[in-house]
Amino acid sequence: MAFERVLTRNVGKPEALTYKGYRQLGGYEGLAKALKMEPDAIIDEVKKSGLRGRGGAGFSAGLKWSFIPKGKDKPKYLVCNADESEPGTFKDRLLMEFDPHQLIEGCAICCWAVQANTTYIYIRGEYTKAAAILEQAIKEAYDAGVLGDSVMGSGFKLNMYVHRGAGAYICGEETGMLESLEGKRGQPRVKPPFPAVVGAFGAPTVINNVETLCNVPHIIERGADWFKAIGTDEKNTGPKLYAISGHVERPGTYEYPIGITFREMLEGCGGMLKGRPLKAFIPGGASAPILKADQIDIKMDFDTVAKAGSMLGSAAVIVMDDTTCMVRSVARLAKFFNHESCGQCTPCREGTNWMELMLKRIEHGEGTERDGQVLLSICGHIGGNSLCALGDAAIGPVQSLVKGFQDEIDRHIREKACPFPHRRYFEN
Amino acid sequence: MPKVTINGRTVEVEAGTNLVDAAIKVGVQIPHYCYHPRLSVVGQCRMCLVKIDGMPKLQAGCSTQVMKDGMVVHTDVPEVEEAQRGMMEFFLINHPLDCPICDQAGECGLQDYSFKHGVAYSRFQYEDKRTYPGRERIPLGANVLLNMNRCIQCTRCVRFTEEVAGTGELGFFNRGARAEIGTFPGKELNNPLATCVVDVCPVGALTSTRFRFAERVWYLDKKPSICTGCEVGCNITMEHRRGDIKRYKPRFNVEVNDYWMCDYGRSTFERYKLTPRLTAPRLRAAGSNGNGHGYTFTSWQTALDTVHRRIQEAEGQGEIAILGSGFLTCEEAYLFAKLAEGAGTAQRPVPVDLGPEWKIPRHQRPPIKGREQAPNRRGAELAGLGGSAEDLLLGDAASRCAVLIVADSDFGQAAYSAEAVAKLRQAKFLVVFGWADSPLAQAADVALPVAHHGEKDGTFVNVEYRVQRFERAFPPPGQTRPAVEALGDLLSRFEEGWSNLTPGKVFDRLAGEIPAFAGLHWHDLPATGAALNVSGAAHNLSDQAAEAASEASS
Ligand SMILES: Cc1cc2nc3c(=O)[nH]c(=O)nc-3n(C[C@H](O)[C@H](O)[C@H](O)COP(=O)(O)O)c2cc1C
Ligand code: SF4
Ligand code: SF4
Ligand code: FES
Repeated sequence: MAFERVLTRNVGKPEALTYKGYRQLGGYEGLAKALKMEPDAIIDEVKKSGLRGRGGAGFSAGLKWSFIPKGKDKPKYLVCNADESEPGTFKDRLLMEFDPHQLIEGCAICCWAVQANTTYIYIRGEYTKAAAILEQAIKEAYDAGVLGDSVMGSGFKLNMYVHRGAGAYICGEETGMLESLEGKRGQPRVKPPFPAVVGAFGAPTVINNVETLCNVPHIIERGADWFKAIGTDEKNTGPKLYAISGHVERPGTYEYPIGITFREMLEGCGGMLKGRPLKAFIPGGASAPILKADQIDIKMDFDTVAKAGSMLGSAAVIVMDDTTCMVRSVARLAKFFNHESCGQCTPCREGTNWMELMLKRIEHGEGTERDGQVLLSICGHIGGNSLCALGDAAIGPVQSLVKGFQDEIDRHIREKACPFPHRRYFEN
Repeated sequence: MPKVTINGRTVEVEAGTNLVDAAIKVGVQIPHYCYHPRLSVVGQCRMCLVKIDGMPKLQAGCSTQVMKDGMVVHTDVPEVEEAQRGMMEFFLINHPLDCPICDQAGECGLQDYSFKHGVAYSRFQYEDKRTYPGRERIPLGANVLLNMNRCIQCTRCVRFTEEVAGTGELGFFNRGARAEIGTFPGKELNNPLATCVVDVCPVGALTSTRFRFAERVWYLDKKPSICTGCEVGCNITMEHRRGDIKRYKPRFNVEVNDYWMCDYGRSTFERYKLTPRLTAPRLRAAGSNGNGHGYTFTSWQTALDTVHRRIQEAEGQGEIAILGSGFLTCEEAYLFAKLAEGAGTAQRPVPVDLGPEWKIPRHQRPPIKGREQAPNRRGAELAGLGGSAEDLLLGDAASRCAVLIVADSDFGQAAYSAEAVAKLRQAKFLVVFGWADSPLAQAADVALPVAHHGEKDGTFVNVEYRVQRFERAFPPPGQTRPAVEALGDLLSRFEEGWSNLTPGKVFDRLAGEIPAFAGLHWHDLPATGAALNVSGAAHNLSDQAAEAASEASS
């Protein structure tokens, strides 16, 4: 499939890591252009481009920026979400490690658009290398006058900081991240008020994912119409990174126009591992309900995946072949969510724990006939009732297991053991 | 003000009222754990979920505010009831269900809501419950014990220490199903308000060391009362079983103590148990040294006759003095003042001890503070007592007395000090009223056993000149009588019109006479008390608090 790489165009060009090299590759042109535009015009352009958040929820970036109150009575902040902790997701890391200035440029344009003078890049604690690269790039950007008291000579002031997380998935949830950034226990806040009104340090705050922001310089430089031409339709536009893992020949991060079919994507990474048959795949990270092999021709964009009962989420695609035990896989995911629940709200704290225990029991061959129904009922009690979206995320895989793979659960129960040939996975 | 409709009933509420509070206005209870009117709203327990027309998901009632007209809320629809059942199941799957040995049983949020919103069976049958080994009985401080297995992670306690006490000893640690509360390293929960966390804890996770295993709560009889620990006058519930006081709990009064009281106040009832009681009128035989020998018990009749006679005979023999007490009710003080008037004496001081500064936080206004270690010095002075006690307690004024009447054998530390007792004992005839058989009572020629504040009705006037009524919780023991009755009988021996007194009658009489109390009646004193009109009234108060109060009311 022929297409132009946009977000990853500088991957494989080590010179992009330096300010000079990035400039030579055409970098910071978008920012230069943006600084000559009215802030509102930028917001309109981004709105028009149809750019949707790449962090999981797929919310219109331009719309989000437009919620930031005008006026100067309070400082405003941009917080870039680089926490990337969902299992299977490793796309932001690539962007930060190979093209840090692209992110800095995107952040700077966003700040100009909403008139924020401070950016925090909240980066996953384990991303030490990416953090170091970003720090270095930010330093060079300051030296080059791209950051600091007068961004590219415009008189606009912008400071940028890298803030390293301390190892919690929940700090990727936007308000959990704000709490953590403020030095508190990382746990989500009740909403409303939304961060656009009361965000970091009580001030209006934009929160966007790394990839979302990396799209921005290109939109400004080349126009919303160019951006909109890429993708499935008006609502699913632009280039997209897919982090492909699991039973494929060449797992990795791939850039495609959004809305490429899963089949094409699979071909692009060399097909199934050892040519084995596809059994199921997760289209959008650990929280997305599992799709079965019959969905192989699905277009991988926000709305099509949602219509199929799952979600594009962070576009972390996990591919599973016929040797995969679905109960074991989902039990592992349940373990993740139980481990990562912040524990403040009841349905998520108690429900994720119960689901993990139950799924492990089924996997160990000690399930009962009733378990499937109880699992669905637990999911029903968590879904929509938890304080933040982690609770909702945790039930996606479980529901799709019970609804789509009941036969596998039944075999575990009937045979009083896992029918798949592997060691018992959970020893505890 | 915006209108909101809850379960079909419409009510107008102030903009910004949350749904839990709004629902109360139409008589609907939205179950809640983490919400507390004085703590920040965190929306954590998810027990308060309600359905709001036009919203796809259920919403937390505590964090949803009524801002404009037209919100339609349902709490009695199947979706909400299903969610409530779900939450109750979640709360209980890992709960030890050890009600039979739990202090909270009988007043537990889990029991109450299980009964109302839960199901009677468990689907959590094959898994092991989560426990916190070694954290079943951890002292968080001197007065509070934590059993982590029972905790429902509502963080009320944490928010209390952070937001109300301002001390922040408690934190929420770990995450997921292992989330737990505890003290920060090196900290202990020993702030003056510490035991309030036991009150805000909806379950049996936090228990009071003082009350632990003292009584099953359903055996407790409860009466509205006032703490006598200091002049703040925190509203309390006195909880006892057959006259044996088991605990004081703060009783909500937005004007005084809000939802709180201090740990010292909670301990003050122990005085009634630790101090020996006077239970019958007692005469001291002539020549006795007052060390416990040489007494005869007598009837009230004889005892009061004796006092009456000695007062009458005093003329020409010396002075008469009355030593008041900050523990007297307004009504008692009024009657002592009448006695003083009749005897023509101006010596009627109300000595009080000073303690450290007590401070109770209040909502949206400065904390209320007190230093006087008695609840009613102000009321006693307004009722007609007052003056300096120095001459009696430190000087030799008692030696000039033919009769010295001490109104309260437990009026302060001096009643237990050998020097002070010796000073007072210089009076030719020493009469002591009181519940405590203190050294002072033992030195008395006539000791008259009267009720303590759990055994009588009365009013106290607190540091901000608020008169507050409290109720008798149980009858006094033995021949002990409420002082109002005894004083009525004594006064009747001098003149007509004092028989069959009750505190209510005395209060109404006092209110008719003393300008500060003008317009008040015993039977319709508001539950939150009434602010006295001290700025206009003539009274003999000299302290700064009085000035502050008149400033505040002007
Ligand atoms: C439990 C949880 C974890 C999340 N983790 C991440 C994350 O690691 N990175 C991210 O960009 N967004 C994450 N999100 C989504 C953010 O809350 C937020 O929607 C996003 O950062 C907004 O940026 P976007 O609009 O650019 O996507 C997470 C959400 C939840 C509920
Ligand atoms: S849903 Fe889970 S992660 Fe989110 S607030 Fe509740 S307990 Fe915390
Ligand atoms: S100890 Fe009590 S108040 Fe504190 S979090 Fe647990 S249940 Fe809530
Ligand atoms: S009372 Fe509303 S969530 Fe706890």
